[in-house]
Amino acid sequence: MGQQSLFDLLYVAAFFLGGLVFAVGPFIIALLLAPRSTRNTQQKTAQLIECGMVPIGDAWIRFGVVYYLYALMFLAFAVDILYLFPVALVYNRVFAIRDFIEIVIFVGILALAVVYAWNKGVFTWERKSYSHR
Amino acid sequence: MSVHPEVIRLLIFLVGIIAFAALNAAYLVWLERKEAGHIQRRIGPKEVGPFGLLQPLADGIKLMTKQLIVPAGVDPVLFRIAPILVMIPAIMGFVTIPFSETLVARNLDIGLLAVFAFASVNVLGLLMGAWGSRNKYAVISAARVVSQNVAYEIPMLVTVVSLVMVSHTMNLTKIVGQQLGGFWHWNIFNFAASPLMPVAFLIFFVCMLAETNRAPFDMAEAESELIAGAFTEYPGMGFGVFFMAEYANIVIGCSMATILFLGGWDCPFGLYPGVHWFLLKMYFLIFTVIWIRWTYPRTTFYGLLNLSWKILIPISFVNLLLTSAMLKVF
Repeated sequence: MGQQSLFDLLYVAAFFLGGLVFAVGPFIIALLLAPRSTRNTQQKTAQLIECGMVPIGDAWIRFGVVYYLYALMFLAFAVDILYLFPVALVYNRVFAIRDFIEIVIFVGILALAVVYAWNKGVFTWERKSYSHR
Repeated sequence: MSVHPEVIRLLIFLVGIIAFAALNAAYLVWLERKEAGHIQRRIGPKEVGPFGLLQPLADGIKLMTKQLIVPAGVDPVLFRIAPILVMIPAIMGFVTIPFSETLVARNLDIGLLAVFAFASVNVLGLLMGAWGSRNKYAVISAARVVSQNVAYEIPMLVTVVSLVMVSHTMNLTKIVGQQLGGFWHWNIFNFAASPLMPVAFLIFFVCMLAETNRAPFDMAEAESELIAGAFTEYPGMGFGVFFMAEYANIVIGCSMATILFLGGWDCPFGLYPGVHWFLLKMYFLIFTVIWIRWTYPRTTFYGLLNLSWKILIPISFVNLLLTSAMLKVF
């Protein structure tokens, strides 16, 4: 590893530490300045917020995230786009039509994921209820 | 004992950039409130100091003297590290942003990738904070913030890929260097590379709004339906750190838009290029971000996701293919 890349890492590490200090610092100041306890008569200071009511039930329950299919589609894309970065970087360094054809094939297959999902009705927003089928 | 000059430079840049981030976080809140006031025919903050300029200081003191409550039943680890995890990448993103030709902390060769890599940690922190809060509103917000961020990351990155194709480098200083010499050299007007370049800029800007959870895409903290969304349970400084990170992310996003599309520190008509042009463009974009927030109502979540998948992603792919074709033709 050359000196240049060593300094690169040093800078990134220093900014990580700087960010850590900048993030933790306000909490330390708040710990020094803020009151430690509250005068509380109902013992409800640490209660979770639910618009003033006593919370009904737990929040950590299973609930229907209707748009989870979008997240599944994201998986199809996220990694593939990372593959596109090195391709884009060296694209057109030498003139070759083959690059273009390969990109068209790659992006075309990727785009099929959107077409498929569109066709399957992922993008139509309906109540996904199967109880009265 | 002698200190390596590079270490001194590093410390100066580190302190300078943290000060820059803190100052921006404080005064962008002021700008936002002032601008919101004037857009809504109010005055905005005016009591504390001239033009309300000392308002951020008063807000800071107020936040710092609030009791740090950790509500009963929250996940103690996730709840505490979430604001820190959101803040750290926001500062790390600044490591390679070139404010001018010489004013850059470290000119990384993979600068472009590094900024987006750091920025993508943001969503993890928000998810941890929201889920760890054990609050119904926060948990709903957690599901929203993840699907929103992953949906908008794709068109943003595809746009960036087509830009990398044009510039052949991920070094941000070199990307700006290719755009010097007047506004017709900027990437936004680079019609030889792709006729859709202004559209690509628009896609990037919209995605930046969505990635930083700004209105009209602020589904994560939709006040009218989710109280404060992911931040509901955070008292005082926890909330404050989340907000400083949000503003730092806006600064990074607008800086990236400036660097990639608007020629960075280049002057539009060839006069005195320098850091002032960079700041001018960046603050104009930030002004626009705030302007949009107070002009448009929040979209529906359905419309938000479909805007990305049905419009932005197909157009950005078309732009990618068009760019690759045009590069072969010309």
